[in-house]
Amino acid sequence: MTRNTLFGGAYAIAFFTFLFGPLVIMVITAFNSSRFPRVVPWECFTTGWFGELLGNARLMDGLLNSVIIGLGVVALAVPIGLAGALALSELPARLRAMLYTVLILPILIPGVVLGISTIVLWGQISRGLGVGALYNGFFLTIVGQITFVSAYAMLVFIARLQRFDATQTEAALDLGATPGQAFRKILLPFMAPAIGSAAFITLLASFENYNTTVFTVLSESTFTTALASKVRHGTDPSLSALAVIIITITLVGALTNEAYQRRKAAQAGGPSARSPLYANPITQALTHPGVVFAILVTVIAGLSYAGSRHDSSVCEAAVLQDKMARQEALRAAQQEKIEAQQAQENTLPKSNSAFGGAFGGLGGSTPAPEPVAPKPASPSAFGGAFGGIAPPQSDD
Amino acid sequence: MKQLKLAYSTLMAKHGMGATLFVAIAVTLWVVVFITLPQLSMLDYSFRFNLPADQIGTEADHYTLEQYRGFFFNADGSLNSLDLMILVRTLVAAVVVTLIDVIICYPIAYILAHGAKEVAARLMVIGLIIPYWINEILRAFAFRVLFGATGVINTVGMQIGLWDAPVDFIRADVALYFGLSYAYILLMIFPMYNAIEALDHTQVEAARDMGAPLWRVHWRVVLPVAKPGIVSGATMVFMLTAGALAAPQILGGPSSLWFTQLIYQWFNESSNWPRGSAYAVMLLLTCISFVLLTMRVFKVSVGEIGK
Repeated sequence: MTRNTLFGGAYAIAFFTFLFGPLVIMVITAFNSSRFPRVVPWECFTTGWFGELLGNARLMDGLLNSVIIGLGVVALAVPIGLAGALALSELPARLRAMLYTVLILPILIPGVVLGISTIVLWGQISRGLGVGALYNGFFLTIVGQITFVSAYAMLVFIARLQRFDATQTEAALDLGATPGQAFRKILLPFMAPAIGSAAFITLLASFENYNTTVFTVLSESTFTTALASKVRHGTDPSLSALAVIIITITLVGALTNEAYQRRKAAQAGGPSARSPLYANPITQALTHPGVVFAILVTVIAGLSYAGSRHDSSVCEAAVLQDKMARQEALRAAQQEKIEAQQAQENTLPKSNSAFGGAFGGLGGSTPAPEPVAPKPASPSAFGGAFGGIAPPQSDD
Repeated sequence: MKQLKLAYSTLMAKHGMGATLFVAIAVTLWVVVFITLPQLSMLDYSFRFNLPADQIGTEADHYTLEQYRGFFFNADGSLNSLDLMILVRTLVAAVVVTLIDVIICYPIAYILAHGAKEVAARLMVIGLIIPYWINEILRAFAFRVLFGATGVINTVGMQIGLWDAPVDFIRADVALYFGLSYAYILLMIFPMYNAIEALDHTQVEAARDMGAPLWRVHWRVVLPVAKPGIVSGATMVFMLTAGALAAPQILGGPSSLWFTQLIYQWFNESSNWPRGSAYAVMLLLTCISFVLLTMRVFKVSVGEIGK
């Protein structure tokens, strides 16, 4: 058994390395000053990519559009999902299976297909009615996303409804409540936490969506589509900086939630109630989710402030200097080679020179330097680039 | 109809007029306007010619099989093997990615359901969810950083002398396969976990006590219970992979297109919507029939999905 446990543990570690490895590397590249996101060679520690990210107007416009669309989607998808879950709970088994299949289908249909079908339908409607206003990116994206995002909300509500004790409603009705009152006073409050998490999930799904949105958003752009076009047209580490921001927010949320869950478990008398942390009033206060959250935010704010004051220009200048020096050295080496070659050419009879034939007609008597010859010999890309610049100077 | 009426009257009795109307209107709107009509409209569009706006509605605007013929055959009547091959390759790649996910996720789902202690299990769940929070585009970008010509894998590989020149992982689609398998891990693990968790752990212990080797315990005891979860997860991963657009655009090699990219090109680069619609219909039909066929083979119903 221990051998199996060991194997299981090792597998879990390997699995989570795969899960987090790419993210960790991406986070590291956000702080390297190299123009291409990479870890090695490490050039300078910099926080400049965050500034570059915030200065990207297209992404920031997209962010605003995404928020508008996200709010629209939440406002519609959550009620629709709730209605779907309620309808499923009351239908007889056969009809329920059928409706469930239909409602769950949008999750499975490729997002591309949903996007296309949305713009085709609403394009036809707006042409038919002559209402151009229907055919705009915001409206189409909201409508297109609702189709499948409502299904996510519905799944959340179904899970919650399964734990609903229907006798509560019956009791309320017996005691003289109208069905409407029972719905508002009993079922809705019971569903409240699910409404919160459904709103959260739908907002996230709307925000993240690419496949459908890239079609329905037409000439506008959301945060995700702007991001995708940026990645497709060349990468730079400001995207890694964005990942750092998102990961940080996620971690703060996860840690606060964990503190909240543990506190709840401790209050309910679970195993964590025996933890000494909850016996001591100071540590008890420190593990309060609000305090945890405040501490994390303070730490991050402090780090961001320190980061914003960090100036990597000296180091970057040094790296540049270093690169220039290396190029200079390469150029010098190259020039030496050229001179050696020229010397050789001058001593040899002209007809023997490799270029004599080609350049003979151009007046071969001048010792024309041949920029082409040394190029392939240069060992680095910089040598190649500077090879073209170096020879004209060798005319002197 | 009768059943609908029954459901309506129970809703009325339980939740009242307002709630019933709300449910009826919202569900009808969702099913008819958001789900059914767009698909029908796309289907209708795929049987039309690509006409300029002023000719729509004139007699030139009639139904045709032209768009589908364009998918199956070239202009000279020969088989359009290029586009057909892209569809086949997309499906095969999606199957491969799905199988990879089944294999790497099964042990984790089992450990999560039966091996891990309470705290470890909660940490694992958080660990599974966090990467899923990061935008899909950024996850693909992370793999580009990892696998690029000057990426970490190439640099390390060259430094320890495994290979001399940078390996083009992007062109070889290695990065794409990694990125896609990574992207949908969560959707595979949770249905699997839900199914395996329902298994009483004493059954596993009993099988072990009777002397069954580990692989047989999994094959005969755990897998039959996990099957609906595996099929449900595999369906989602397959459909999402076959319909993926961002990852192939970012990680795909220049010479290999994903079928969704083809659709994207018809819409956004060639502005031929009817042809793009026909291609989308083809993608939808092939994927759905493939999934239904697989479900029939494994004897699982659609109702299992999403649980």
